[in-house]
Amino acid sequence: MPSKPLNRICYVEDDEDIQRIVRMSLERVGKMTVEVVSDPMVAIERMIAFKPDLVMLDWMMPGMDGPTLFRKMRDTPETRDLPVVFITAKASQREQNELHAIGAAGTILKPFSPKELPGQLRSIWDALP
Amino acid sequence: MTTPDYTTDPGHGSTKINLSQSADPRRVLADRVEQIYSQMPLGIIGSFVISVVAAYELREGRYVEIVVFWAGLVILLAAASTGLYWSYRRTATKASEASQWLRWLAISALANGATWGFAGAVFFPSHADEQQVFLAFLLAGMVAGGVPIYAISWPVYALYAAGIVLPFTYVLGTFGNRLFAEIALLVPAFYAMNVGVAWRLNQVFDSGYRLRHAYGKLTEDYTALNQRLEQQLVELEEARRQVEASGRKLALFAERSPIAVFELDDAGRVLSFNPAAENLLGFSSAEVLGRVSSEFLFSDSVGAGVREEWSQMLKSHAPKVGWRLNVIRRDGVEITCDWSLTPLVNPENRVVSVIVQGRDITQQLEAERIKQEFTSTLSHELRTPLTSIIGSLQLINSGVMGDIEKDILELTTIAERNGQRLLDLINDILDVEKIESGKLTLILEAVELGELVTESLTLNRAFAERFKVKLVAAGDLRSVMVDADRKRVLQVMTNLLSNAAKFSTEGTAVEVSIELVAGETVRVGVHDTGPGIPENFRSRIFGRFAQADMSHTRQIGGTGLGLAICKRLVEMMGGRIGFSDRAAGGTTFWFELPKHS
Repeated sequence: MPSKPLNRICYVEDDEDIQRIVRMSLERVGKMTVEVVSDPMVAIERMIAFKPDLVMLDWMMPGMDGPTLFRKMRDTPETRDLPVVFITAKASQREQNELHAIGAAGTILKPFSPKELPGQLRSIWDALP
Repeated sequence: MTTPDYTTDPGHGSTKINLSQSADPRRVLADRVEQIYSQMPLGIIGSFVISVVAAYELREGRYVEIVVFWAGLVILLAAASTGLYWSYRRTATKASEASQWLRWLAISALANGATWGFAGAVFFPSHADEQQVFLAFLLAGMVAGGVPIYAISWPVYALYAAGIVLPFTYVLGTFGNRLFAEIALLVPAFYAMNVGVAWRLNQVFDSGYRLRHAYGKLTEDYTALNQRLEQQLVELEEARRQVEASGRKLALFAERSPIAVFELDDAGRVLSFNPAAENLLGFSSAEVLGRVSSEFLFSDSVGAGVREEWSQMLKSHAPKVGWRLNVIRRDGVEITCDWSLTPLVNPENRVVSVIVQGRDITQQLEAERIKQEFTSTLSHELRTPLTSIIGSLQLINSGVMGDIEKDILELTTIAERNGQRLLDLINDILDVEKIESGKLTLILEAVELGELVTESLTLNRAFAERFKVKLVAAGDLRSVMVDADRKRVLQVMTNLLSNAAKFSTEGTAVEVSIELVAGETVRVGVHDTGPGIPENFRSRIFGRFAQADMSHTRQIGGTGLGLAICKRLVEMMGGRIGFSDRAAGGTTFWFELPKHS
């Protein structure tokens, strides 16, 4: 279990409506600090600047999909060790296994419940080594 | 039809016949008796004529009365013999009582012989020398003449001749004349020789009869065999006609079949090629007959694998069904076909040819791929906006955004609930699609069913409270391990519990039980207090889009897919699902899962 509580979240998502809902959920329900990034191409720079505790990635995004961005993060020293949680509408077991295999800390299925989202993230955070 | 008495040597197929067994001894005897009787008239007449001549010759002696008596005796005996002959001719028991008739004949022969023995014994001493010579000549003639008549049965002859010779020998021996005494010594030898000849003739006759009978029987058997062969030839001809007819029928089936059918020999050379195969592959049958199919049908990479499978099939003789394989048409286009290969094996267990059937499934595979892609896209594209809708409404309804007016809250709650319903419907449709396309894979593991059911009660309690129904465990939920997929058991429980809550009477409780059935099976029961399942709905309750009264669809909600999904899920976990009426009203829905061993 990490020594400090989960506080800073960076969320990469192209859909602005979902961005807003996640931001409100995490800020209002979870009392967390949230940085939302719409364009995956600039995500890594923003993460380096923001220094999040945990990163949330959408799977399907224009320009670059979540798994690709994830691999790029693994190739960048500053983001290499950040825990990553995928938020995806791809519900199949095969797809979830795929994410687990590449090293995702967890997956949250769309549609998620904004009331429960902070709790789900904290469970994943607490389970980290 | 008699069964020929022969054995078949399987090694050489030849037939051996045992001659001695073929002749029936009873029939041989009957034939012999018949033969002797047929000679009787000659014997009777001969004997009678000779006795008349003898009586005439001997009448001048001192004992005319005795000669007359003797002649009377001869006539009487001739009459008796004629009677015997007459009876034999008329009887129906010639064959069955042959030995009895032979005995009668033996008595007659002995009597006949004894008459002549009497003549010798009485007349020889009382007559002059000339007549004695005449008598001796007569008796010798009678003894010798009896041979051809009676030799067919030597004992009969022996009796006959003994009847003549014994009294005469006695008279000769006791006459007091040395020459006659010497003759008396020779007569038995003469007798023995004659009996010997008769015995020998008897043997010859006997084997003659046996042979005659054996060949008679052989002829009979041969005729029977011939008849059978003729019958079999007729049957064979009929069978050949039938085979030809079904051959023509089969050829017609292949000819008109919409499925490509061709026949290959064991080396893969094309023996026949139907019009559908010509259509499918673009080759005319004239082009491909005699060619090795793998040389023109497959790309190099596919061909190697095909040859491997082909040689395995020739070894195992097992047909191959549903073999998806890419082939290259004559115009160079590669298509995917579904192939069935059936090896035809002869009685020597060798593959004589292979029947190949194939149909083009390229389009079908493409359609499946598009459908899958569509489903995946649909899943993403529908869920994303629903995430925003349901998420926004949840944030408002939970009060995180601050207090809202009661009327507005009521409306946003309705909106959230219906958003959730839409999501359930999409999830159900996706599940059905996955199940039907065989894409749903379950992860079966040992699961503690008691805990899982308790968890499902907790998860669904809030939903049930909306219908003012409680979810309770009936007694202690038994701790038992089953082989199941955790997530899917929860899905089944959620379906059954939400149905039970929706249909139960307000203020009552839905009870859940776990029990062992038949040792290896565990049954989970969900008991509601609803109105029961209408009779006309029972048979289709587990069908898709099934709802009892369509007015309920709006009133109570649900997609009508839930139970259909539950049924498939439970079956995929090796269990079964069903329902029964509760005695106190309401319905019990149950499912069974195999106990973990």
